[in-house]
Amino acid sequence: MAQEKLMILRKKNNISNPANTVSRKTAAAQRSKKNKWYKISSLIGFFAVWQFISYLNVSNNWFNPVFLPSPSMIIETGYTYIVRGTLVTHLTDSFVRMFSGFAIGVLVSVIIGMLITSWKWFDNMVMPVINLIGPIPVLAFLPMFLIWFGIGEGSKIALIAYATFIPMLGYVVEGIRNTDPYLIRSAISLGATKFQVFRKITFNSALPNIFVGMKASLAFTFSALVVAEMMGASTGLGFIIVDSKNWFKMSDMFMAATLIGLEYTIFHGILTLIENVILKWKREGVSSAVEE
Amino acid sequence: MSVVLKSVYKAFEEIDGKPKYVLNDIRLHIHDGEFVCILGKSGCGKSTLLNLLAGYLKTDAGRISVNGQEIDGPSAQRGVVFQQHALFPWYTVMENIEFGPKLAKRKDSKKIAQELVSLVGLNGYENKYPGSLSGGMAQRVGIARALANDPEVLLMDEPLGALDAMIRQNMRREIIKIWEKTNKTVIFITHSIPEAVYLADRVVLLKEGRVEEDVKIDISRPRDVKSPEFLEYVDFFEKGLSDQEGESLITE
Repeated sequence: MAQEKLMILRKKNNISNPANTVSRKTAAAQRSKKNKWYKISSLIGFFAVWQFISYLNVSNNWFNPVFLPSPSMIIETGYTYIVRGTLVTHLTDSFVRMFSGFAIGVLVSVIIGMLITSWKWFDNMVMPVINLIGPIPVLAFLPMFLIWFGIGEGSKIALIAYATFIPMLGYVVEGIRNTDPYLIRSAISLGATKFQVFRKITFNSALPNIFVGMKASLAFTFSALVVAEMMGASTGLGFIIVDSKNWFKMSDMFMAATLIGLEYTIFHGILTLIENVILKWKREGVSSAVEE
Repeated sequence: MSVVLKSVYKAFEEIDGKPKYVLNDIRLHIHDGEFVCILGKSGCGKSTLLNLLAGYLKTDAGRISVNGQEIDGPSAQRGVVFQQHALFPWYTVMENIEFGPKLAKRKDSKKIAQELVSLVGLNGYENKYPGSLSGGMAQRVGIARALANDPEVLLMDEPLGALDAMIRQNMRREIIKIWEKTNKTVIFITHSIPEAVYLADRVVLLKEGRVEEDVKIDISRPRDVKSPEFLEYVDFFEKGLSDQEGESLITE
């Protein structure tokens, strides 16, 4: 009797096996594709609204359109820069400064962070000084950097590196300190030396935090870039803003500002891509608290 | 190989200026190839004992020597398996097992790791990250990783504590199989009486930091957990563990 009931249950299961279910992986892929489109359409929408307001302004004579140039005017300005052949120079100069300063800042923060967590005396020596000068805005340091490192690339890169280093350091130190002691124990019991423990365990364990730090510090990197280029530079996006202020070229200013935003977004995206490749081990196992 | 503990003392705190000993005059002689279970309730000092043997902690008094050599910090000669497996999450199963041989610059590290993957029955999972493994699988990797260095002694700190009952049964059988194949000296910490009786050549019962019993388990393997002599041993240790007469323990 019981067996019969069991059989019926099984049959029911067979019948109700749904043919139109989508696997979790496919669903997640579809969702991320949709998310990408939402993000892109948000940007398109932003420029569309801006363009529309400019259009209303021109047709209703609210204020002088020179004060708020429309996206199409900015593109026109960009086009004249391209024709003159200067846009690429400005962009690459800014990118090289930003990238070298960022790379140096990140590297130095990892090294200093490693030393701080290795030696208590180093921690005691360095941290009070960093806590003292860290909160001072980089803008205040620019004149000193110009005097120390000259008006060439050196002072700009140094300023950008410094601006990246200060916020990065905290993330690096926290990442290293949060390493699971059991992982360190097991590495030592497998024959790792102190340096091997750092390179293979502590560093890998701090890496997710280092990436969070890099993304968070990137905003400081870019503001230092603009500040550095506004004083004592003859190329770069920051220079364009200051230079066009002198000539009252509003659409040049807006073009430079837009390009800074664009460069930031692209570089942030590249960092995220690198992070996804390097930290692919993080994506296995539990991916979210509750499935969507 | 043989592990000798001579009057080992360890304290973490003081009470009224006197050290409160977590381990009090521990004397043990563990022979080459022996499977010893250290049995005790939580707080009895069994994990401290393992940490001393591994070299993570230092004795307050007394000496621990392995093969005649006194312990001075952790060493690749004493493999450790942790309760929470402690696998490196950024390395695959294969890379985790290869970790020790690679550090020792062994050219055949791949081969060693591959053999151990087969020994613990994880073929097909070589390139998975620990995050995607179940508890039982992760612990197999932990055991394989500790064995990869071919250590003289294998120290296991409640390696099955985090697993569910079904998997635990399976893993006990596996551990005995692996031990019989590799012939290592094993020191296995557990709070489960049947587990100790099932696994060990010899069970050391720790109570409040002292060796309460040190008993040879005289049952041939494979052991039947329902046989009368097995249950007799279980009963014996239950009495040894309980504080009051008539208090019965839930074993497992």
